Amino acid sequence: MSVIFVALPVALLLGGSALWACSLCIRSGQFDDLQSPSVRMLMDDKKISDPDRIRSGDQSKP
Amino acid sequence: MAIESPLVDSVDNRESATEPCDHCGLPSPRRHGSDHTFCCNGCRGAYQLIHCWGLEDYYALRDSLNGGESMGPVDGKKAKGIDWSELADTGLLGKSTPKDIGSGLVCSRLAIEGIHCGACVWLIESIARVSPGWQNARVGMHDHSIEITFDPQVLRLDDVADQLGKIGYRVFPWVDGNSEQRFRDENRQRLVQVAIAGFCSMNAMWIAVAIYAGEYSGIAASQLLLLRVVGVFLGLVAAFGPGRVFFRGAIASIKTRTPHMDLPIALGIGVGAVAGLVSVLINHRDVYFDSVAVLVFLLLVGRWIQFRQQHRAADAVSLLMRMTPTVATLINQDGSRSRVSADSIVAGDRCLVIAGEIVPVDGHIADGSSKIDRSLMTGESQPVRVGQGDAIEAGTLNLESPISVTAGASREQSRITNLLRLVEDASSRRTPIVQLADSIASRFVLLILTLAFLTVVIWWHIDPMRAAGNAVALLIVACPCALALATPLAISVTLGRAAKRKLLIRSGEALERLSSQGTIWFDKTGTLTRGHPQLVAGSLDNQTLRLCASLESNSNHPLAMAIVDAARQRNIDLCSLSQITDVAQTTGQGIRGVVDGRHVAIGSIGFVRRSALNIDDAVEANVSSIAGRGLTPVAIAIDGDVTAVIGIGDDLRHEAIGVVKDLQRRGWSVGILSGDHPSVVEAVGDRLGLPPHHCLGGQTPEQKLAKIEFDVIESKQTAGQGRAARYRRTVVMVGDGVNDAAALAAADVGIAIRGGAEASLQAAPVYLATDSLVGIVQLIDASKKTVGVIRRNFRVSLGYNLLAVTLAMAGLIHPLLAAILMPISSLTILSLTLGTKTFADGQPTPEIQS
Repeated sequence: MSVIFVALPVALLLGGSALWACSLCIRSGQFDDLQSPSVRMLMDDKKISDPDRIRSGDQSKP
Repeated sequence: MAIESPLVDSVDNRESATEPCDHCGLPSPRRHGSDHTFCCNGCRGAYQLIHCWGLEDYYALRDSLNGGESMGPVDGKKAKGIDWSELADTGLLGKSTPKDIGSGLVCSRLAIEGIHCGACVWLIESIARVSPGWQNARVGMHDHSIEITFDPQVLRLDDVADQLGKIGYRVFPWVDGNSEQRFRDENRQRLVQVAIAGFCSMNAMWIAVAIYAGEYSGIAASQLLLLRVVGVFLGLVAAFGPGRVFFRGAIASIKTRTPHMDLPIALGIGVGAVAGLVSVLINHRDVYFDSVAVLVFLLLVGRWIQFRQQHRAADAVSLLMRMTPTVATLINQDGSRSRVSADSIVAGDRCLVIAGEIVPVDGHIADGSSKIDRSLMTGESQPVRVGQGDAIEAGTLNLESPISVTAGASREQSRITNLLRLVEDASSRRTPIVQLADSIASRFVLLILTLAFLTVVIWWHIDPMRAAGNAVALLIVACPCALALATPLAISVTLGRAAKRKLLIRSGEALERLSSQGTIWFDKTGTLTRGHPQLVAGSLDNQTLRLCASLESNSNHPLAMAIVDAARQRNIDLCSLSQITDVAQTTGQGIRGVVDGRHVAIGSIGFVRRSALNIDDAVEANVSSIAGRGLTPVAIAIDGDVTAVIGIGDDLRHEAIGVVKDLQRRGWSVGILSGDHPSVVEAVGDRLGLPPHHCLGGQTPEQKLAKIEFDVIESKQTAGQGRAARYRRTVVMVGDGVNDAAALAAADVGIAIRGGAEASLQAAPVYLATDSLVGIVQLIDASKKTVGVIRRNFRVSLGYNLLAVTLAMAGLIHPLLAAILMPISSLTILSLTLGTKTFADGQPTPEIQS
């Protein structure tokens, strides 16, 4: 049996799971704002002065 | 110190040796030997980066937005120190109530006004990082929201609001409009559909490549079958999953008998999908699944881009809703006060409105007198004095002293709410333009069906076996992919290019409309003119100006501010407060006092006459000539001698005359619709070279709306029905402020110009962020070019379709040929559209005036 009978479904499965992940991201609102994230990446990271606050800062974004 | 901008005023008094930070305006230690002052390295970095990016315009934009109305509402609010305490009361915040997110931090989502570009996001988020207790801020530019995470132990929400207010942004409790929720959901849903279609089409393509490769180099039958089955499955998913929107459109178009592009698209997709399924079942050679899937994907992408651009307008009406106050101070029967939601106020209630607050309801002043800024309602740039018994509207700003207002109606029935409703009505009532593509579509469908029928008949006689196959091939290749892409693509490209020139367009329809000439109405205050009083006539030497400005710095009358402004522009240092004595102000007349040992009187000629000894005829003549120009004459007497007469007024923008000429040369008829006094409007019209019957003054917002609607109807009637209706005269309204919003929405094209209430700009389909009228002329030229590009795209894509249909009828089309021809036609359209210059070269972006 040719490998294509295995490879094709596997490829589709992989692609399908990426599609599923993508739709999850869209539905969670990650693609709502296409303007500000492009600016945000230019900002410096916050200096780690207080690890506690940094951790909680991460939680601030659901 | 008195000359410092009010923005930093209050802080400045506390710390003496400070200067405003060049970036954020916060007070910062003065550094000698340096051109710039920064409060922190963050601001220095931001400032440098903004300059590196070539985004210096950010400062000009910000300053002219704040300074453009500076002597009016914006600075007025700040100078009085706006009361943010409503934000501290969690009971009144609604959806903005801070939520506990653990670790002693809370998070709140607010609406924010004043966001223009990436620099604003940068600025706000940088400030959040340097402020103690303020954990972070995330700005959403798409819906003008800000998410603030802070430590309630260290600071309160109103402190945050105060900090943002100092750098020129206002925050409001979040009010979730219905349309917004709908837009967000639909946007996400469309994106998911695009993703599914993209997945299907990309996979279908590589499967198709494998099949065609197999045809030339040999392929096992079982593998070919597998590839076909999977490919057809993907095509079917694309056609009946994300593609079902086209079927829905087609069914609706049949039901309402208004043919549009969806009809031929649905026909092509449907036939392609069914034919693919049938040929797999009967093991026939031709399957068109890849063409179908790619078609659905490309069209969905195009539509999603269109959808996003069209929906920004709706967003913004709700921003305006948030700008009107949500809380009011209610005076109870027993005299006690309580903060209540503005929606709960009913007719007869009494509310207290302190200085710096926006009036929450329509009504009458029960007690107290003050000056109010009506610019939001009437566009009137000068504050109006009101006293007991005067009518007052919601949305106006109380500038001076506390007043109590007896509500005449609930908030629901207030005039501003009605105006907003008018805006929404006008935008929804506007008949959707019959796009060229749609009008072609009906004939196209008919033609294709006839040709398909002919194909069956002809081939039945030649080779009955191939008759059905050829007809199906024709239906698929005739699907107007390029045709459907042509319009949205050309329009999106122009919108993008316009945006780079700071001309923001929210609907493609506006572009199409602007390409045919017609009537253009300008609002006066803030549109043709600068929108705030300035010293425009008469000259003062520096010494006189210094004395005058020092005296006037004691007053916050708009005319006084114009004089102080003039001194600031010439970098004149004012006398210290101790040198100014015996200041006496007569309301509506003038001000007098002793400055640096000299008696100074500034005011109307009558006022000055009382303190001046001799007034010669030349002065009188001067006064009447200045008044004749539509300016306010102000006389200045020093030590009893009238030394100068100056004219203060709202001067024309310097480019206004040129723009009006350009428009007239292009065949547009130009007019003014203004709420200002008719004689002032005529004086302005005269300078612009407009006939008097085109200069309408004293117009209420409702009258403006009626005039625009009348013009639109008239233009429709003159043009007649059918094809000619598309080429009717376009009615354009250019204006700012809420008072123009309804007229802006009712016009064929509303052009909002920066400098007015921000949210109303968003009610208009076009928004000039350049603060220059030159953009209007550029836009009209660009729209002409764009419509030309659209027409050419049509010709090209119709040419491709003609070729494909001929081949199909001749029985020469092969699925491979179809698969190549369709993307190539789209690519041709793409490169032709991108390769055309929409905006003329060498036409520099208009300068931003600060």
